[in-house]
Amino acid sequence: MTARRCHQLPIAVEDDIIVVRRAVRTLAEAHGFDTFASAALVTATSELTRNAWSHAGGGVATIDVVEEGNRVGVRVTLKDSGPGIADLPAALSGGFSTARSLGLGLSGSRRLVDQFDLQSTVGQGTTVEILKWKML
Amino acid sequence: MSPRNSTTGLELDDTTIRSRRDYCELTDDDLVRLRSLRGLAENHADRIIESLYELMLSREHTRKFFPDEATIARVKRLQRKYFLELFDGRCDLEYVENRLLVGAVHERIGLGPAWYLGTYRRYLDSLHQYFYAELAADEAAAAFASLQKLVWFDVSLAMDAYIFANSDAIRRHQAALRELSTPVILVHDRILLLPLVGTIDSQRAQQVMDTVLLRIVEEKARCIIIDIAGVPVVDTNVADHLVKTTAAVRLLGAQTILTGISAQVARTIVHLGVDITTMHTLSRLQDGIELALRLVGKAIRPRKGSARLAPRES
Amino acid sequence: MRGTIPILRIDGVLLAAVQVELRDAVAEAFQVDVLTAIESERARGLVIDITGIDVVDTYVARILTDTGRLAALMGTETVLVGMRPEIAATLVRMGYPMQGVRTALDLEQGLRLLRRSRRATVGKYGRGPA
Repeated sequence: MTARRCHQLPIAVEDDIIVVRRAVRTLAEAHGFDTFASAALVTATSELTRNAWSHAGGGVATIDVVEEGNRVGVRVTLKDSGPGIADLPAALSGGFSTARSLGLGLSGSRRLVDQFDLQSTVGQGTTVEILKWKML
Repeated sequence: MSPRNSTTGLELDDTTIRSRRDYCELTDDDLVRLRSLRGLAENHADRIIESLYELMLSREHTRKFFPDEATIARVKRLQRKYFLELFDGRCDLEYVENRLLVGAVHERIGLGPAWYLGTYRRYLDSLHQYFYAELAADEAAAAFASLQKLVWFDVSLAMDAYIFANSDAIRRHQAALRELSTPVILVHDRILLLPLVGTIDSQRAQQVMDTVLLRIVEEKARCIIIDIAGVPVVDTNVADHLVKTTAAVRLLGAQTILTGISAQVARTIVHLGVDITTMHTLSRLQDGIELALRLVGKAIRPRKGSARLAPRES
Repeated sequence: MRGTIPILRIDGVLLAAVQVELRDAVAEAFQVDVLTAIESERARGLVIDITGIDVVDTYVARILTDTGRLAALMGTETVLVGMRPEIAATLVRMGYPMQGVRTALDLEQGLRLLRRSRRATVGKYGRGPA
């Protein structure tokens, strides 16, 4: 698998979520993702970027184009140095939430992409990496 | 990273080339040796090319690719140039791209791998003879060894080129097949019908949902009948996909009617505990159509008076 | 922020077309605007047109469902119209099918839905408070 770094964007203010989303959408469409695949990836990105902004005080988003054999994909990584996730299984198992907590966002996002990897250390921060392949 | 080569689909950067060369044990010494044999190659090039085309023109299968003298002359010229490039003493990106281009051109006109390999066999055979005729035995052995390495290197690229072209064709066919497999039909104003036939794997299920939703928007449909009589196996996954599709259809303000449910499928759904209360379910497609009409405020009723239309005169 | 999402009155119902990005400040202002309009216009229905929204994550979904709930508390029924097909698909695949929210394909069907619903309610309870 080879990767090409296309964007590195800050997540500092709420508007940055929109910037990251738009970059992902443009890249996905440029590589032939159909509207449904693009919507799935952009929505997962939006979810996770908002998490980084609202729960972790901000972070960085990197967007890569990935190639493996004959297929191409877009990979988005959200890295923050926030408080980290204390109860990972609970966070990933989903369920609704009324307050501004992680709730459905993580598990929902996971269902929208092909690869989902989350590393989190309490007190240090969280890195989430998602990847969606373009269907051939 | 260099751009993806459009012929093979490979990443053709120096790293890739180096690793392939390495695997063929094709060293700089080999290339230098081949370069030093350029004179010998040029001396015999015409004869080698002639005999190659004698072979091709004498066989029915390959003859048809060379319909006239002008084509043959042109192709021989290109082939000569291609042959002599084996003795250029280089094996870089440009060399590789030239090789692939020729392969791609031949693939496109229908001359497949067998021809490609057959040509190289000819080269090896002819050059083997000339090497041993004109060089000392140990030199000839070394020359032939170097030549073989380069030929195998070329052939490995050619194989990739052919495989890529093939899989590309398969991909396009699969895409066309997928489109055909989700025929969403407008049976009446605002009523869609999707007869699902065959197995539904997760990729197809995804495509079904996407197509259904697009058609609902396109036709401003108020309801869609999905008939599953032609789906051989209805397991948890299939049931789950149907539930999801119904939920998505609802978000577009429409209703789903599921028909073609056999007794067997009904038992499976109940046994699996899948909640299908969000959709209308019926056994017969006919009943589904009548329900759909009711939902849009219509009904089928018998005509008054001299009912039937007379059949058309042929 | 107030007035960022304009709210019109049409055929006895309120119509709000969301054509901007829903951010915290915008969303809050929108909800205040809706409640104010329901009070002053005494509308019996609210149509939220989301044709202009290209991404609905759980944040946006929550804003929309919350708005619907707020309106319902004030006796106004809400219908969501104009959802793009890829958004419907994504919501369902995420596992957030927004149950409890009425939906229609477009404004025309949304208005029809509200009218039918209003007739049914009036039939059940007689004329509501003036």
